[in-house]
Amino acid sequence: MSFHHLDQYATTASPITRATPTARVVGTVTLACGAALLPLGAWIPLLALFTLVVFIAAVAHLPARAIIARMSGPFVFVLVASAGLLFLVPGNAVGRIGPVTISDAGLERFGFVLGRATVALGAAVVLVSTTTFPQLLGAFRQLRLPVVVTTSLALAYRLVYLLVDEMERLQRAAKSRNAGGGNASRRRLLIGVTAAGLARAFARGERTHRAMLARGYQGEVVALESLRWDALQGVLVAGLVVVVLATVLFAHVAP
Amino acid sequence: MAHIPDGFLSAPVIAATAAVSAASLAVAVQRSRRTLEEREAPILGAATAFVFAAQMLNFPLGAGTSAHLLGGVLVAVLVGPWSGMLVLFAVLLVQALLFQDGGIAALGANTLNVAVIGGGVGFVLYCWVLGLTGDGSRRRMVAAGLAAFASTTLVGVAVAGELALSDTVPLVPALAAVGGGHLLVGVGEGVLTGAILALVARSRPGLIAAHGTAERGLQPWAYVVLLTSAGLAVAAAYIASARPDALEATLRGLGVSDSATSYLQSPLAGYAAPIGGAWIAAIVGVLVVFLVIWTFVRFGAKRRVSS
Repeated sequence: MSFHHLDQYATTASPITRATPTARVVGTVTLACGAALLPLGAWIPLLALFTLVVFIAAVAHLPARAIIARMSGPFVFVLVASAGLLFLVPGNAVGRIGPVTISDAGLERFGFVLGRATVALGAAVVLVSTTTFPQLLGAFRQLRLPVVVTTSLALAYRLVYLLVDEMERLQRAAKSRNAGGGNASRRRLLIGVTAAGLARAFARGERTHRAMLARGYQGEVVALESLRWDALQGVLVAGLVVVVLATVLFAHVAP
Repeated sequence: MAHIPDGFLSAPVIAATAAVSAASLAVAVQRSRRTLEEREAPILGAATAFVFAAQMLNFPLGAGTSAHLLGGVLVAVLVGPWSGMLVLFAVLLVQALLFQDGGIAALGANTLNVAVIGGGVGFVLYCWVLGLTGDGSRRRMVAAGLAAFASTTLVGVAVAGELALSDTVPLVPALAAVGGGHLLVGVGEGVLTGAILALVARSRPGLIAAHGTAERGLQPWAYVVLLTSAGLAVAAAYIASARPDALEATLRGLGVSDSATSYLQSPLAGYAAPIGGAWIAAIVGVLVVFLVIWTFVRFGAKRRVSS
């Protein structure tokens, strides 16, 4: 298993990939929070933030097809999760699907939730498309996330491919000995695979730790590449924060 | 919907849940520093990788549905509650940024639900059940299963509360849809947690023995909490609203409540006992639930830990 296909645009030369990963993380969080803070019915500010995300994706030279493909999975989840709003929110009836009534308030809330989620998903997709996982870890360190969290993530990144491969192998082996079993036997099989995966993950973690100690590990994984901000990046990120804040303020103040 | 996407929560709820989560994580970092030796950081990495991998496996539940492990109580029992919260936060952070599974702005709410309530509160429930029943190898598995079920249900209630406070969905339908869904998922989570821990206990008993053993002094407190909860449950029956509950109100709202059919006539139907009314029904209910759980844990898991 590999997640390298996720990084295929991270090496494309663009102003976004040249910016420090920390700036990209801050920009993404700003856009996602900005969309989340918009009041219900603020369609024009929402459209403004969506345009901003599209502009950043264009500057990053990301193909629209790649963005849509990456957004589609999470978007379907959001669509399913928000479908309940159509008939759970009280309001005037505007239509019926089978036995349930769709309300006008529910329809508006459904549309606005989807809009906010689209902006946040778009920003996140631009981030992951332009940033490799090690760069993301560097950004977390620079943003002063607890060392224990960044170290866990760094080690998890090393182990997760091996672990998923191992669990897939275990699953294949167990399936081949258990062909034709029903749901109950599949559940037993998966529980066995998960427990074996857990025991192996911990055994591998202990082996990795011994190897790291032998190489001088003292409690923190040291990154070879140090992240640096320059003045222009700082100004651009501050500009983005100001634009998003102004949009949110406008949405709350405007009638 | 334990991982709330962006767009569902309001600004005050985002800010409040982020503040509570940040404070909880700060305490977790401090407390885990005391208990966590340097050597355990790679183990936390392994636990984080395991939660990622385990959440990719979907278990069939029947009727064409499936669910994956949440792993809050499982991780808390294996690496301790504070470290477990940090592991779950690390998983949520990467799921939000890398896989868009859960919102970026909703990360505080998701951390509160999955790491603090699912892992931290789940571990408190695990210790509470162990305090009631006494320590033992099988009792730990059953206690972990029950705690996983209860904490998953609490996660559902918390998600429903956050959605209602955000004015996204009214509380009653949110409790019915999200809380009810998590109640069902909780059954699967409880069974999976208990079963996985039982298998791990056979191959690596030290992993479970190292964390989360019930302290002897905990037992009186466990009974105090139990009696307080029973008292609250009985009092709640007396002051309870006569209005329909979350599921009933939702079914009425959808216009499908008339299709409900009763196959068994209970003597305590509608929480009313033939003698004494709601008070007696509440006391009988609390006693029956306690006896079922206590009998299940006490006699269903007799084997004691050899250590």
